[in-house]
Amino acid sequence: MKQYVLKRIVYSLLILFLVSILIFLLGRVLPGDPVQSALISTRMGVVDQEVIDDLRAQFGLDKPLHQQYALWIRNFVRGDWGMSIAYREDVREMFMQRLPITMELFAGSVFWAAIIGFPFGIISALRRNTWLDASLTTGAVIGISIPVFWQGIVMIYLFAVVVHIFPPSGYVPFSENPWMNLLSVAMPTFILGTHSAGLISRYVRSSLLEVLGQDYIRTARAKGLTETAVLLRHAVKPALIPVITVIGLDWGYVVAGSFIVEYMFAIPGLGRMCMNAIFAGDFPVIQATLIMVAINIVAVNFMVDLLYGYLDPRVRVQ
Amino acid sequence: MRGTDDWAVLRALAKHKIAVAGIIILVCLVVMAVFAPWIAPCDPNEQDLYRVLEGPSREHLLGTDDVGRDLLSRVIYGSRVTLLIGVLSTLFAAIIGVMLGLVAGYKGGVLDMIIMRLTDTFMSMPVLIMVLVMVAAQGPGVRSVIVAITVFTWTGYARIVRGQAMLVRELPFVEAAQALGASGFRIMFRHLLPNIMAPIIVTASIALGGNIMLESAVSFLGLGVQPPTPTWGNELRIGYSYLEIVPLFSIAPGLMITLAVLAFNFIGDGLRDVYDPRIR
Repeated sequence: MKQYVLKRIVYSLLILFLVSILIFLLGRVLPGDPVQSALISTRMGVVDQEVIDDLRAQFGLDKPLHQQYALWIRNFVRGDWGMSIAYREDVREMFMQRLPITMELFAGSVFWAAIIGFPFGIISALRRNTWLDASLTTGAVIGISIPVFWQGIVMIYLFAVVVHIFPPSGYVPFSENPWMNLLSVAMPTFILGTHSAGLISRYVRSSLLEVLGQDYIRTARAKGLTETAVLLRHAVKPALIPVITVIGLDWGYVVAGSFIVEYMFAIPGLGRMCMNAIFAGDFPVIQATLIMVAINIVAVNFMVDLLYGYLDPRVRVQ
Repeated sequence: MRGTDDWAVLRALAKHKIAVAGIIILVCLVVMAVFAPWIAPCDPNEQDLYRVLEGPSREHLLGTDDVGRDLLSRVIYGSRVTLLIGVLSTLFAAIIGVMLGLVAGYKGGVLDMIIMRLTDTFMSMPVLIMVLVMVAAQGPGVRSVIVAITVFTWTGYARIVRGQAMLVRELPFVEAAQALGASGFRIMFRHLLPNIMAPIIVTASIALGGNIMLESAVSFLGLGVQPPTPTWGNELRIGYSYLEIVPLFSIAPGLMITLAVLAFNFIGDGLRDVYDPRIR
C-alpha cells in the first residue's frame, strides 16, 4: 500500500506540473498583454516605449519563457497570485472570498448525485428488464445528455416563473438566512448533480448485475440468506467499488458545470468570477482559477485512486 | 472484434430499440439541416419589427424573436452550423487522437510514455472551461470553436486506441506482417486500425453529442459563433433574457440541442452493446 500511495503522489505531482505548463502557455496566447491592459485601466493612454518597457520588466515579461514560468510558479506557491486587471484587487483574496460559495454548490451536487444515482441504479439492477428498469435506464441517459444550461432554463421557467417555489437567481449566504440559502442553492445544485446522478445510476446497475452473477452470491443464496441479506451483506459493497472511479472521472464535468450554473443563477462564486475574467481578458484571475481547478481535479482523482486501492487490493499490485 | 461484419452490426443495431430511436432523431436533424431552405417557412434573417417577441401563431409556429424573425426558421437553420461544428471537430479530434494512440500503442517505450502523460494532462482539465478560455483567446467564430474543441477532445480516442493497439499488436497476423517486412506505418494503418474501428466509432458517436453540447455552451455564453448566424446556442442565449415573456424562444432551441446530444448518446450506447454484448 505504501508503495502504491507513493507512486500515486509522484504521478499526481507530475500531472500537476504538466498542467501548470499548459495553463501558463494558454495565458501567453490570451489577447491583451497585461501591460496594455494595465495602461488602459489606469487611463494612461499613449505612453513612451520606455514606460512600456519598464512595466514589462515589472511584470517579468522581458525574461525568457522558462524564467517567466518559474517566477509565476514561485509567486503562486508563496501566495502572491497577482492583481486582477479588471478589479485591481489581490487575486488570492478574491479567490478565497468566493471559495466557500462554490464549495457549497459542490457539496450540494454530490448530495443530489448520490441520493438519486445510487437508489436508481440498485432498483434498476434488481428489477432488470422490467418497465421500471427501462424507464430508469432511459432516465439516466437523459440525465447524462441534458445540457446544464438547458436544464437550467427549463427549471427556472417551471419552478421560478410558472410556479414560484424557488428564486430564479441570486444567492443568500447561509449566515444571513439559512432557509433562503437552501432555497437559493436547491435548483443550481440539483442541475449540477444531474449528470453524475445519471452516470452513477448507470454504473451501479451494470456493476451490481455483474456481482449478482458471481458464484459467491449463489452460495449465499444457497445457504438460505434472504434476498435482502444477500444484497446488503455480499452484493452492494463490491458493486460500489468501481462506481468510485466514475465519480472521480465526472468531477471535471461538475466543476465546468459550476461555471455555467453560477453564471446563469448569478451566484457570486469562483465560476462566475472566472467567467467574468474570461470576458474581460483578466488573465491573472483566469490563470489562478485554472491552476486551482487543476489542483482540485488532480487531488480528487488522487483520493479516488487511494480509496480504490484501499477497497480493492488487486489494484495496488499493478 | 476481428471480422465484425458491417451489415451484421447494422442488423443488430436495428433490433436495439434505444439506438433506433437515436437514429430516427438523427436522421430528422440531418434532413432538417440539409434541406433547411425548403423546410423553413420563412427567411431566418427577415426581420419584422412590428411583430417582435410574439407567442406561437399560424404564421409563426414557434413565435418570433426579439427583432421579429421567425423562430422556427431560425431553429431549422441553426442546425446547420451546430451540426457542422460538431462533425468537423469530432473528425479532427478523432484523427489526432487515433494517430497518437496508434503510435503510443504500437511503438511503446518513451514515445508511449510521452503521449500518455500528454493525454493525462489534457484530461485533467475540464474540457468546457479550457474551450471557453481558448475561444476567448482566439476571438469568436466558427473556426476558433472547432479548433478549441479539437485541441481538448482528442484524448479519449488516444487512450482507447492505445489500449486496443497494444492488444492487437500481439496477435499472430501482426507478427506475420512484420516478418514480411511491412513498415511500422503500414502495420499501424493497414493492420491495426481496421481491427480497432469499433471502439473508435463508439467513442466518436458519443463525442459528437458532447461536442454539440460544447459548441452550444460556448455560444450560449456569448463567446462562440457570432450573431446574426443562427445556431442553437445563440438562440438560447438571446431567448434566455426573454424567458418570462416568450419561453419557447429559449426552450425550443435548447430542446434541439438536447435531442441531438441524446440521439448521439443513444446511438453510441447501442453500438457499444452491439460490439460488446457482455455488458448488457
